[in-house]
Amino acid sequence: MSTIELQHLTKAFGDLIAVDNVSLKVEENEVLCLLGPSGCGKTTTLRMVAGLEVATSGDIFIGNKNVNNLDTRDRNLAMAFQFYALYPSLTVAENLANPLFAENLSSEEVKKKILEVADILQLRDIVNRKPHQLAEGEKQRVAVGRAIIRDPECFLFDEPLSRLDVQLREQMRGQIKEVLSDLKKATVIVTHDQLEALTMATKIAVMRDGLIEQVSSPHDIFAKPNNTFVAGFIGTPQMNILDCNIIEINSSIIKLKILEQEVQIDFITPLNVNKNDSYFIGIRPRSFELVNNNASDNFSGKVDLIENMGSEILVHIKINEFTFRSVQSRSKNLNVGDIINLKPKKGQVHIFNKNGEVIRNE
Amino acid sequence: MKKRAIGQSGWLWTSLASVVAFIYFFPVLFIILTAFRSRSDTLATPPKWIFTPTFENFYHIFFRSMANSTEYVATGFHVYFFNSIYISGMSVLLALLIGTIAAYGFSRHPLRGNDTYLFIILTTRMLPPIIVIVPIFLIFRITGLAGTYTGIILMYTAFNLPFSIWMMKSFFDELNTEIEDASRMDGASESSVFFGVCIPQVKAGLAATSVFALILTWNEFLFSLLLTNKLTRTMPPAMARTIGGEINVDYGLLAAMICLFIIPIFLITYLLQNQLLRGVTFGTIKK
Repeated sequence: MSTIELQHLTKAFGDLIAVDNVSLKVEENEVLCLLGPSGCGKTTTLRMVAGLEVATSGDIFIGNKNVNNLDTRDRNLAMAFQFYALYPSLTVAENLANPLFAENLSSEEVKKKILEVADILQLRDIVNRKPHQLAEGEKQRVAVGRAIIRDPECFLFDEPLSRLDVQLREQMRGQIKEVLSDLKKATVIVTHDQLEALTMATKIAVMRDGLIEQVSSPHDIFAKPNNTFVAGFIGTPQMNILDCNIIEINSSIIKLKILEQEVQIDFITPLNVNKNDSYFIGIRPRSFELVNNNASDNFSGKVDLIENMGSEILVHIKINEFTFRSVQSRSKNLNVGDIINLKPKKGQVHIFNKNGEVIRNE
Repeated sequence: MKKRAIGQSGWLWTSLASVVAFIYFFPVLFIILTAFRSRSDTLATPPKWIFTPTFENFYHIFFRSMANSTEYVATGFHVYFFNSIYISGMSVLLALLIGTIAAYGFSRHPLRGNDTYLFIILTTRMLPPIIVIVPIFLIFRITGLAGTYTGIILMYTAFNLPFSIWMMKSFFDELNTEIEDASRMDGASESSVFFGVCIPQVKAGLAATSVFALILTWNEFLFSLLLTNKLTRTMPPAMARTIGGEINVDYGLLAAMICLFIIPIFLITYLLQNQLLRGVTFGTIKK
C-alpha cells in the first residue's frame, strides 16, 4: 500500500534543529503539501523521506515498512526537483528513460513508456532535444515525467513550480493535479506558495522553524487556522490580527475593545473566554461588510491608502495610528480621507489567546 | 555567433594587440630562429635575420663529438626526453586521480574542520621547494627511492596534489547537486553517481587541472636535478648539464633543445584548448 508515515522525525545540523519532532501520515491517494516560509525545514523533511538526508532521530515508514536504514535507491520513490535536475548531456527521451535503467526493461518497453509519459505531459515534439534547448515549462514537465515514468511507492515534489512564471504556474498546477489524481499514490509536495498548496493538496501541513503548526484540509487551514502564524501565513491579503480586550460576554455575543473602539461581535456559539482578558482578534480583509451607519457592531475609520487589485481594491483603514486592511469592490467608489464603517461578517472572526493559539467555539 | 566586420576602431585594437603579441612572442621567435642558425650565425652581432637554415643543432642534440674527437657519439638525450614525458604524465595522472576523489570527498562529505584540512593541504605549497629539499633528499636516500622512477613520480604527485584538490573542489562545488540526488532516486549507486554523473560534468575542470599540473611538472628543475640519476633524469637538468659552464655556451644547441622541449606541452595545450577555455572561465557564466 502506498503510504508515508513519519514518527517523531528530527534532524539537527550541529546546533540548529532543522526539523523538530515531526509526525505526519500521508494515506494512499492523498496529496500532502508541506507549506511554510523558506528555511522552515520542509525540504529537509522531504529529503529525509527520500533518503537523501539521514534523520537524527525518529522513524520513516513507506508502505508500512520502516525505511530508516534503506538507501535512497532501495526506497522505491520518485522525486521531482526544484531545479529539475535534468542530465544536461542527455536528450529528453534519455532523461525520461534514466529511472528505468534499474528496472531492466527491454528497449521496446522503455520506448513505450517514454511515449506514454510524453503523451500525458505533451512532450512528444521535444523528446529528441537536450535540456538547454528547452523552455522552463518544458523542463519542468520533463522533470515531472521522469518522476512518473516508473511505478514507485510514492511521489515527492520539491518546489515543483517555483521557477515558472505566473501563467505557466497556473497551467502546470492544474496539469500536475490531474496527473496526480490519476496515479492514486501517496504524494508529498513541498512549496512556499500557499496558492499552490491550496489548489493541489488534499491535506496541508504548515511548518515553521522545524515544527508542524497545523495539519488540515485546504479549506480548514484557511477557515479554521490553529494559531496566529497559520492565520497570517495563509490567505492573501494577509489576515488583520489586532489586540483586543473583552468587555462583556453575553452568550455568543461578545463585546470587545479593539483599537479604542467598542465593537460587538456575534461568534454564533459561546466561546471559552474571560471578561477583561486580552486576546488577539483575526479578521480577513475579505470578511468585512461596508455599512452606512456607525453602530455597535462595526468599526469606523479613515481611509488612509487605496491599493488597486484589478476588480477589487485593498483599503488601508487607519484607527488611532493602527492600520488594518479590507478588500472592497471597486464600485463602492471609496476615496482617501473618507470615514467608513466596516462590519465583520458573522462567523468569520477568529479569536486567539495571547500565546497565539485559537479559541474555538465550544 | 555573427561575424563582425572590423571597423575603424577595430583596426586600431587589432594592430595594438598585434604589437603586444609580437613583444610577447619575440623571445620565442628568436629562440626558434636560433635553433636553425649555424654556430657562426648565432654569434654574429648584430643578429643575422637572413641566414641559411640548418638542422645541425638538432642533430647535435642526439649525436655529438666529444673532446676534440671527430667521432660522433649518441648523447642519450632521447632517454631524457622519454623520462620527461613518462614521469610528468604518470605523476599528473596520479595527482588527478587522487585529487579528484579527494576533492569530491571534501566537497560532498565535509568533515568536521573541513576548511582546516584544506588549508593544511595548501600550506605544503607555501614553502619554496628548496627549503625541504635536504630532508626529502635524505628520505629518498634512506628509502632507496633516490634515482628511481617511482621516487620522482611520487614526489611530483605530492607536488601536484594540493593544487589538483583545490582546483577540482571548486569545480565540484559549482555543480548542481540536485542532479546527483536525482540519479540516486533513479537507482544509481554512489560510485555511479561519481563516475557517471559528476565526472562528465567536470571534464573541463579535469582538462584545465591536468594542463596546469603538467606545465608545472614538465618545467620542474630542482627535484629532478637532485632526486634522479643518469637513467631517470628529465629534460630540464639534462639541458642544464649540456650547457655546462658559463663560457662557451652553445646557444644554437640550447635553442634546439628548447624547441623540442616545448613541442609536447604545446601540442597537449593545443588539443585541450577548448576544454581549457571552459575550465578557466568556469563559474563566470551562470547556468
